[in-house]
Amino acid sequence: MGSNVPLIELRGVCFRYPGGSLIHDELDFVLQTGGRVGVMGQNGAGKTSLFHLIVGLLQPDSGEIRVLGRPRCQERDFWEVRQKIGLLFQDPDDQLFCPTVGEDVAFGPLNLGRSRQQVMQIVQRTLEALDLAHLQDRVTHHLSGGEKRLVSLATVLAMEPDALLLDEPTAGLAEGMVERLIGILNEHVQTCAIISHNRHFLERCTDVMVQLHGGKVVPF
Amino acid sequence: MHISEGVLSAPVLVAGGVLAAGGVGLGLRRMTPDKIPAVALLSSTFFVASLIHVPLGPASVHLVLNGLTGLVLGWMAFPALLVGLALQAVLFQFGGLTTLGVNTCIMAAPAVAVSYLFQPFAGSLNRILVFVSGALCGALALLTSSVLIALCLVFTGRHFLEVAQLTVAAHVPIMVIEGMLSGFTVLFLRKVKPEILGAAADVISPA
Amino acid sequence: MNLDPFSRGTSALHRRDPRVKLVVATAYAVVVAVMQDMAALVPALMLAVLLTGWARLPWRPLLRRLLVVNGFVAVLWMFLPFTHPGTPVYHVGRLTASREGVIYAANLTLRTNTIVLATMALLGTTPVFDLVHALHHLRVPEKLAQVAFFTIRYLDVIYREYLRLRNAMRVRCFKPRTSLHTYISYAHLVGMLLVRSYERSQRVYQAMLCRGFQGSFPVYRHFSLVRSDLVFGTIMLLAIGMLWLL
Ligand SMILES: Nc1ncnc2c1ncn2[C@@H]1O[C@H](COP(=O)(O)OP(=O)(O)OP(=O)(O)O)[C@@H](O)[C@H]1O
Ligand SMILES: [Mg+2]
Repeated sequence: MGSNVPLIELRGVCFRYPGGSLIHDELDFVLQTGGRVGVMGQNGAGKTSLFHLIVGLLQPDSGEIRVLGRPRCQERDFWEVRQKIGLLFQDPDDQLFCPTVGEDVAFGPLNLGRSRQQVMQIVQRTLEALDLAHLQDRVTHHLSGGEKRLVSLATVLAMEPDALLLDEPTAGLAEGMVERLIGILNEHVQTCAIISHNRHFLERCTDVMVQLHGGKVVPF
Repeated sequence: MHISEGVLSAPVLVAGGVLAAGGVGLGLRRMTPDKIPAVALLSSTFFVASLIHVPLGPASVHLVLNGLTGLVLGWMAFPALLVGLALQAVLFQFGGLTTLGVNTCIMAAPAVAVSYLFQPFAGSLNRILVFVSGALCGALALLTSSVLIALCLVFTGRHFLEVAQLTVAAHVPIMVIEGMLSGFTVLFLRKVKPEILGAAADVISPA
Repeated sequence: MNLDPFSRGTSALHRRDPRVKLVVATAYAVVVAVMQDMAALVPALMLAVLLTGWARLPWRPLLRRLLVVNGFVAVLWMFLPFTHPGTPVYHVGRLTASREGVIYAANLTLRTNTIVLATMALLGTTPVFDLVHALHHLRVPEKLAQVAFFTIRYLDVIYREYLRLRNAMRVRCFKPRTSLHTYISYAHLVGMLLVRSYERSQRVYQAMLCRGFQGSFPVYRHFSLVRSDLVFGTIMLLAIGMLWLL
């Protein structure tokens, strides 16, 4: 792939929830391979919705979404997108649903058709990389909020995506946990877009900061 | 799983109504005020779960999960399923007002029966035993329900015999899916929140 | 979840007292369910069509529902004319349809469609919460009304929880197939929903206790029966009575 083709490119995207007001108004957004973008914006500005549009959980009313250089319109176009772009949900409870941590981390790789053996290795490797190996057999539902956050990050990283979309990864995390997260992101993640209300956090793990304002992405 | 309005004869409808009233009464007696929110929320959850379509070869079937409902709620499955069926009747025109009693019996009677049979094993420490009892719960409840549907049809008229046989036959593959799903769900509950499986325990043993 | 698509309307039927509608709908359904005679079923259907028109229900969802109901009826048509004994009227292959069987199936079709239309027109035009409320006034056991109330109250909450978990599965490339992995994943989904609901119910109960719950809800809002409700109820019950006598 040519180096100047953006990994993610949104052009003139308009979106509203059925019966709601316009949330994105001719919005443009670009994420280059290797780019690290911080996304800020008021509550309700449409940040979460933007990420959900990128992975096809929502459909734009107009405009174009290109990922990996190809336009993406239908559900089946997005299957490849979701393989390459990992989304970390704003609420980890939305993301985790398997009984144990190990099974939850294995879910994605299993969907990608990896063999049991490979999946076991991936789970091991991912959990060790995030220093979570001791949680492998714990019941996900009983973890603390911060542990759940890291485990959901592990479930996304286990799919070995090209880029990550992180929706408020520091919400509810204690100081020490934020440090750990910054370490993980800087060590294991090359390309990412991160939504956060925490400027210091974004300054330490992204290169550019943008803001979602008036339905458009504007420089911060 | 239900029979539509206008199909069954009056005696079958009346019998269904009377039996359902008895079952619901028993369920309500065992439902102390502190259990009301739990019964209701589990009832909405089973309602939502019944909207899930699971692929089966080229077709897809929706979940019924009445065995699991029974395992979790015991006799309280009667009021819970009655509410669910009434909602389906009013909101989607599935089933109906006059068939409410019959449909409640079709769903809830097998649910209560399997809960008596398998409740003691569902909380076991042996994972295989837990899975097998959950799976049998799901499969047998569904099978019994389809047999009850068939009986209601045949009691309405002998000429329904073929339709009744078809109904039971069509439910055999669904039974397999329900069994597997119920088995794995019970395993999940056993691991994550065993008290849900115990919720009905003190209710089943005579109050 | 759009629970009651028909309930938001402005027709005169929408404004009738839910208690009256509930009583009328039940009487209507019971009378039609036991009708055997085409001479009574046809006017009964006409009355139901009239009510549906009066309620001005949106026709798309209306047709979709009728289609679902009649899909099941269609299956019965493939059997009943042939399995019901009687005077032969037509043949399909080696099968012989009887006159009595055809009439039986036709009556059944009329009954089903009449009741479905009447329920949609009468109950569909009432928000579900109002129906539960009406049940409460009509002396349904209090605990049952409470279960119904909470079930409906949390239906949408749980449905959205389900949608979010399903999205979580989708972003991790889950594709439903006929496979063990699929069934296990759905079982985890159902299990997780059950656990979350159960825990929520505990919190709901604690919150109720904190607000002084002692086993029964005081009824806050009352319906008011106006003259047009009484007129409507009386006319409908008379009409249903006449159908019964036909
Ligand atoms: N499912 C939905 N249906 C209707 N409206 C919605 C839905 N989800 C979000 N909205 C509305 O869309 C707008 C944008 O929501 P979104 O979640 O994208 O905001 P956000 O920027 O992520 O906010 P926050 O910082 O609070 O997470 C909000 O006004 C919200 O009320
Ligand atoms: Mg958000």
